[in-house]
Amino acid sequence: MDVFFQQIVNGLSLGGIYALIALGYTMVYGIIELINFAHGDVYTLGTFFSLAILTGLGVSGEMHGLPLVGVVLVTLIAAMLLCGLTGVLIERLAYRRLRNAPRLAPLITAIGMSFILENVMQLWHGPSPISFPEVIPNPAWALGGVEVSAKQIAVIGLAIVMMAALQLFIYKTKMGKAMRATAQDRDAAQLMGIDINTTIAVTFLIGSALAGAAGFVSGVYYGTTWFFNGFEAGLKAFTAAVLGGIGNVAGAMLGGFLIGLIEAIATQYIPGGAQWTNVVVFSVLVLVLIFRPSGLLGESLPEKV
Amino acid sequence: MQTIAATSRLAALAALVGLVGCSGTTTTTTSQSSSGSASAVAGATVIKIGIDMPVSGADASTGIPTRNGAVQAIEEADRKGAPAGFTFVAYDLDDAVQGVHDPAQGAQNTRAFVSDDAVLAMIGPFNSSVARAEIPITNDAGLAQISASATNPGLTKGPDAASLRTSHPDVNSFFRVCTTDDRQGAAGAQFARKLGLKKAFIVDDNETYGKGLADVFDAQFRSLGGTVLGHEHLTKGQTDYKALLTKANALGPDVIFYGGTTATGGGLLRKQMRDAGMAATAYLGGDGISDAEFETVAGDAANGVYYTVAAPETSKLPSAAGFVAAYKKRWSTDVGPYSANAYAAANIEIAAIEKAIVAGGAKTPARADVLKNVAATNGFPSPIGPIGFDKNGDTTNPILTVYKIANGKGVFVDQINLKS
Repeated sequence: MDVFFQQIVNGLSLGGIYALIALGYTMVYGIIELINFAHGDVYTLGTFFSLAILTGLGVSGEMHGLPLVGVVLVTLIAAMLLCGLTGVLIERLAYRRLRNAPRLAPLITAIGMSFILENVMQLWHGPSPISFPEVIPNPAWALGGVEVSAKQIAVIGLAIVMMAALQLFIYKTKMGKAMRATAQDRDAAQLMGIDINTTIAVTFLIGSALAGAAGFVSGVYYGTTWFFNGFEAGLKAFTAAVLGGIGNVAGAMLGGFLIGLIEAIATQYIPGGAQWTNVVVFSVLVLVLIFRPSGLLGESLPEKV
Repeated sequence: MQTIAATSRLAALAALVGLVGCSGTTTTTTSQSSSGSASAVAGATVIKIGIDMPVSGADASTGIPTRNGAVQAIEEADRKGAPAGFTFVAYDLDDAVQGVHDPAQGAQNTRAFVSDDAVLAMIGPFNSSVARAEIPITNDAGLAQISASATNPGLTKGPDAASLRTSHPDVNSFFRVCTTDDRQGAAGAQFARKLGLKKAFIVDDNETYGKGLADVFDAQFRSLGGTVLGHEHLTKGQTDYKALLTKANALGPDVIFYGGTTATGGGLLRKQMRDAGMAATAYLGGDGISDAEFETVAGDAANGVYYTVAAPETSKLPSAAGFVAAYKKRWSTDVGPYSANAYAAANIEIAAIEKAIVAGGAKTPARADVLKNVAATNGFPSPIGPIGFDKNGDTTNPILTVYKIANGKGVFVDQINLKS
């Protein structure tokens, strides 16, 4: 039974990273119905930015106490800002002009952006994996036979805090209202005096900033990264968004955690399970889509953001 | 209405995901450079030796030193003086795509060699999965191919090898100067038992090389009295192995045996063992984790890791001293685990070509003659000892080495000669 709960913890921490990335996919899809394939690479860029900031701050090993809190906050916020701005830039350069073009055109530019980002990162740090300083000390606590490490708590906690903040933003602020309006009917929103360009730019800013946060967390959690990291993570996060109901914030979160959990449990309880995790994950996705085509939470909340 | 729109959208998404899934792995940004290693003498007939290695991405740290060994042999032969009227040139291509060795790219490179009439022999590839894609092409063209490092047994032996010789079932074009995974897995199992390790949990990357290595270790470890607690295969692209390690840890193994390369998960697996509370468990692998990349990825956790290499330790061989010094002078770095092998492989091909030139009366030799000479190689002096090929194309000189990583460097532990 201990092993079962240990796998739940493993699954939740893996799912937390998927969830943070999935939020960005789902927001962008909700507002302009575009699958932003460059999003996974923005996430990788988040680890690269974090690494650059940590190197700039002269951090190479474990930190403690107040400096730790300072370094983590500075790096996290700076990485989020830089990724957010990258997202805005991508939207401005690659998607805005194509907003009224046939659906396929912006998808192709999204794939193009993905390749550009991957190659920029390959030029930046080379094609090989690079190591990431282990900033956070990683004590583990035994809770009745289950080991929970500080990093795991950080990943899960950050994912939940970010989602809660996002929900508040979308439902309690004026900009959030503008985003919801734009998602429902762009033309009508414009007629009501909403600045569509700004609203969409803010959506990209927030979505990409969340990918930046995920990038920082994954760098700290895995202690390594490379330019192609975002491909697999992006695919899983996208799956999470679809599973939860694309366009739905809580759904993306739920989908991310579910996929993490399914992977961990499948690994444990299927003999030779490690090689079947993707099969199980995508089978669950197919089943869910057959019975609930709009995803787990897709219908209960008609407002997409 | 909304639901219908959403459904059709999702169908489109699914199609696109498939599309992107493909393009992500096959559309490539390889940097292929064909570098003429020597300035061709004006008027001389150029003879090219193709070299196919992964020289970008995670595989570059072992691929580049291997390529360098071959290039060095070709340069030396050319400087020493090719037979009158001829000049030797290295024609090297990269088979890594998105930073990982790629069979389709390797096949494409091999076709490039085959379609170039000046190419009379080739070195490579580095990886067994790539070799599998290339052997049918060299078999069809009758082009002699020697790998310095592809260690999967099925490339030369048994029905697997026969199935690769598609065009000319009775002709073998593929040779190797390294020994094979059945030997490497056997050496690993022998060594693990020598250390007194009883219970093993085996993980492999499900590739030709990794699974082959792990399967042999699995069988050998059992036959030497060890217990195998589990044998799992990783999924390509996976980066989180905590769930797998939690499962392994619950069974209480003495050693984790990893069949695969650093790029396919070997480094991360070791690193995450610490987070899973397995820092004290031994970790043993094949030459796939012998690269510098492994230390970058695994960090401090790399220390204490054992790995086997299907080649002799060049610094322990008096015959290799001259090569080691020359390599350092030429490339300004130390030799890689397979540099000497590639050097030996290239020299065998050069000797075969020269012999064919002499026999043919100074005409450009046919590929078939070169191939025949390579196959007849016996007792060829090289830095790694006298090399000959058996009827399958395997070396008759199977020496393996075990290393242990200490302070981020592989330190020689044991040399195992499996000559039977």
